[in-house]
Amino acid sequence: MKELELVVLGAGPGGLAAAVEAARSGVRVTILDENPKPGGQIFRQFHDGFKVTSPAMLGHDYARGQKLLSEFDRVRDRVELLDNATVWALSGTNELSFYRGDISSSVRYKKIIIAAGAYDRPVPFPGWTLPGVFTAGGAQSLIKTQRVLPGENFLLAGTGPLQLALANQIADAGGHVVGIAEAGRVENWFGLIMSALGQWQLLGDALHYFYGLRRARIPLWRNHIIVEAHGCDQVEEAVVAQVDENWLPKPRTYRTLRVDTLCVGYGFVPSAELTRLAQCQHRYEPLLGGWVPLCDDSMETTVPDVYAVGDCRGIAGNLVAIEQGRIAGLAAAQRLGRLTVNEAGKRMAPSRERIAGIHRLRRVLDGISAPRPGLYDLAKDDTIVCRCEEITLGEVRTAIADGATDLKEVKRMTRVGMGNCQGRMCGPAVQEIIARDRGLSPERIGYLNPRPPIRPIPLSALAEHRGDDAAV
Amino acid sequence: MVNRRIGKGIKRGKSFEMEVDGERLVAYEGETVAAVLVAAGRRTLRWTEKKKHPRGMYCGIGLCHECMMVINGEPNTKACQTLATPGCQVKTQYGLGER
Repeated sequence: MKELELVVLGAGPGGLAAAVEAARSGVRVTILDENPKPGGQIFRQFHDGFKVTSPAMLGHDYARGQKLLSEFDRVRDRVELLDNATVWALSGTNELSFYRGDISSSVRYKKIIIAAGAYDRPVPFPGWTLPGVFTAGGAQSLIKTQRVLPGENFLLAGTGPLQLALANQIADAGGHVVGIAEAGRVENWFGLIMSALGQWQLLGDALHYFYGLRRARIPLWRNHIIVEAHGCDQVEEAVVAQVDENWLPKPRTYRTLRVDTLCVGYGFVPSAELTRLAQCQHRYEPLLGGWVPLCDDSMETTVPDVYAVGDCRGIAGNLVAIEQGRIAGLAAAQRLGRLTVNEAGKRMAPSRERIAGIHRLRRVLDGISAPRPGLYDLAKDDTIVCRCEEITLGEVRTAIADGATDLKEVKRMTRVGMGNCQGRMCGPAVQEIIARDRGLSPERIGYLNPRPPIRPIPLSALAEHRGDDAAV
Repeated sequence: MVNRRIGKGIKRGKSFEMEVDGERLVAYEGETVAAVLVAAGRRTLRWTEKKKHPRGMYCGIGLCHECMMVINGEPNTKACQTLATPGCQVKTQYGLGER
């Protein structure tokens, strides 16, 4: 079996930055990415069929992405990029399997940097499975790189700065944003601005977004939550309500809005399947988005040779992902004998400083946007919690009444998490709901074990799996 | 005919036709099947197996599998991750396959 020197999983901000630093230091890097082009979700590139005529109209992320992608271009000839590749298994013994171009094969590696990213936190509420309900990221993916507006009259619901960005993008594209329901408490503007001093990039983004909301006359309803969506075969109405500090709706504040499209964004869930398969130790960190691998300050996990960077090791956004990626790339290069400890340390220092600066701001944002218990009270007994297997919350509660004590037992009794998404859409919320019902901490409820293949792949490819004559 | 394409900032490439449940839709090079349908105002991409509920695009990044359709005869194909091609045949998925 072929042995690669350094494998980077994911070509988003963290993975690209890691590859750039490692390649500059002389390491032979192989990147595996599931998309046709590097960039990940946040820096997703257009298909060649589209010609960009006005980069300024495509926003800050686009410009930032172009900068990192051009850094990557300069080392491109020294990096092997395997695009359209689905990694479906990974062991704690320096071996992984992936599916690409109808072929499944395995390779070995000396070091691996996992930059698997994150996905929008799915939150069940009555009506959330209706066509017309999108995750904020899903709507954004359509607007940003497909240049399609997913509806006419939008309600944005959730928390955090992404909502402001999305509202601007929709309004720019000619869509009507009826309003933004922000569940968090945004009273502490002074603290927010003080902590943002020095973070000019982020502060600039925020001011730009607020100006955009005013210009487009988009109302921002603070301490409001989406309670339910109605409609026959698609969204026709949405109900919002004011919430208290625990995000529990207050009586007599319910309001029905005529909208056809709902974009829901309650932050992100780290994609921990790969670090789980690698046998890394994980911890439940609500402020970081859920289960995250433990890492040291050079981004190495509890398993030697396995590093984790970016949102998959705790939600912190693309600026932090890039710096963590650089640190991991340098750390791996040093361990592979390409840099001395001193050289590596010197080159990591600016990244460490930038991360510390961003973390100060993050702490204030977390205080506003971290999900509160009321979020997991929205689903009713007849609300579907597992979209794939069509399991309701009532069925989950019956399983608990019948003796299930954690998420794995609920899965075995109900099929929650056994569908095509492999528990990604239901696991995090069901874990929180069970914890709330039983008065236990979410850690105690556990997680759904990822098992290879961690993405659906054709059986025919598995049948002809290449172990020793890898297609790399 | 609904057309939710955004013209600002980009120029689209070649256009072509594809077929969705027998209806002809215009698509452009580089568009995903899901984007073509959403642009045309078609939101229901499949109906579920057990409860016969309509589902549409949700996560947009290939994880949730809500956009599974029958594309060129292949069921369970994610419309948000599949590029539209000239003449491609797309059908609404009912349960695990065609109606």
